[in-house]
Amino acid sequence: MKPVMISARNVQKSFGATQVLKGIDLDVVKGEVLAIIGPSGSGKSTFLRCMNFLEEYDGGEIRFDDRLVGYRKNTNGKLVKDSAVHVAAIRARMGMVFQSFNLFPHMSVLDNVIEGPMIVQRRKREDAVRQAKGLLDRVGLSTKIDAFPETLSGGQQQRAAIARALAMNPEVMLFDEPTSALDPELVGEVLDVMRSLASDGMTMIVVTHEMAFARDVADRVMMMDHGKSVEIGPPRDIFTNPSHARTEEFLQRVLQRAAPAPLKNPEGVL
Amino acid sequence: MDYTWHFQIVWDYRMVFVRGAIMTAQITFWATLIGLVFGLPLGLMRRSRILLLRAPAATIIELFRSTPALVQLVWIYYALPILTGLQMSNTVSVSIGLGLHAAAYFAEIFRAGINSISRGQWDAALATGMTYTQAMRRIILPQAVRRMVPPFINEFASLIKLTTLGSALAVYELLHEANNLINNTYRPLEIYTVLALAFAALIFPIIYASQLLEQRWRVRQ
Ligand SMILES: Nc1ncnc2c1ncn2[C@@H]1O[C@H](COP(=O)(O)OP(=O)(O)O)[C@@H](O)[C@H]1O
Ligand SMILES: [Mg+2]
Repeated sequence: MKPVMISARNVQKSFGATQVLKGIDLDVVKGEVLAIIGPSGSGKSTFLRCMNFLEEYDGGEIRFDDRLVGYRKNTNGKLVKDSAVHVAAIRARMGMVFQSFNLFPHMSVLDNVIEGPMIVQRRKREDAVRQAKGLLDRVGLSTKIDAFPETLSGGQQQRAAIARALAMNPEVMLFDEPTSALDPELVGEVLDVMRSLASDGMTMIVVTHEMAFARDVADRVMMMDHGKSVEIGPPRDIFTNPSHARTEEFLQRVLQRAAPAPLKNPEGVL
Repeated sequence: MDYTWHFQIVWDYRMVFVRGAIMTAQITFWATLIGLVFGLPLGLMRRSRILLLRAPAATIIELFRSTPALVQLVWIYYALPILTGLQMSNTVSVSIGLGLHAAAYFAEIFRAGINSISRGQWDAALATGMTYTQAMRRIILPQAVRRMVPPFINEFASLIKLTTLGSALAVYELLHEANNLINNTYRPLEIYTVLALAFAALIFPIIYASQLLEQRWRVRQ
């Protein structure tokens, strides 16, 4: 049995009076690639952001490497918010990639990548630079080391953002719709990088609308709707034989958008 | 109108203007320093989610922004000693009074500048494992400062002009020196003209420098 990296039990989250996560359970094992799909507004981003406590869940629990995320038991056994330092230490072990890249615009690509290692992990500059150059080479940006983010294409920015996250040697990578802000012709280069990460055995949780990626790369796919996990399973089951009407409707909609041709053979279109 | 200008008199008393300008610069310097030292924490406190930090900061900021600076100076110089027994010289009173006045405005500039940085920057910094302080210092402030420069220069220029309120407490800044000179020479028009030019000479280089800075940042980013 592979060790569980991230586990969620009955995770709930409300914004004001509206509950957007209504009790989600999930176990992600080491080396697994999980794709999360579902209609917009179903709570995918919120759930992902709860995993590194960028969003504070208010019910249930999330564990990372068996450590409770964001909360601790006080001496009376009551759950209280964990200290900022502990939360930061957990976040440092997870990488996150955002839909809008969020590179630091006042820093060169190289400085973006070495910032975390130097400031958070207090590693030596030369050591951080050496690793950063290797990572930037790996994502195909070795010629853009000194460029500023705004001079890069969206695809290049997202690849730089992936390198930045990898520089912390994360144990898990969280992706929140990493290709949704990209022009269609730039989607492939980012997915290629993610594919190679997956084949290297990185544990990945990927919120995505790229159904082909989910089918080909993910070990399991989780379908979310209205703050719930509707179903979860191997891509083959979810895409060809969904057990819920919700999933089927959603896939129909998404696949029609991706390929206007009638869906006689969904597998072929995927 | 056949008024004959006599700028010779101003030239004869040029050292008086220099002396006044030095005092004006000194008060501005200390007031700016105090304004920055208190303004940043006030601005940060006002953004806090903790009411005990936010409420006092908001009260202090709005108190100083909604009352005349002259009243604040007079109050610190005359009323504070009565209440606390703490008597400060007129120059120190003006520096501190204007410093606190500036702090209220600087705090709002800091707050607006920090708020203008998108949430995504916080997300990226915190997700990397930075603490609030590290994120603020390394990611948020460096970007926010660039946006703060234009409003800061505005406040700074207005602060230089506010030092003339020191004359109400008989501080020998530019306006007070000029008024004394007028009493001796009966040449108000010449003296006020030169006074205006003296302020322009103090303020213009600062505005010019800030424009250069903005240009440089635009090119580099
Ligand atoms: N910061 C927030 N404040 C209030 N409501 C929010 C916030 N973030 C998300 N929501 C709401 O929570 C719901 C789920 O959002 P989200 O997790 O972003 O969905 P998804 O990523 O699946 O599109 C939506 O209805 C959204 O409007
Ligand atoms: Mg989303």
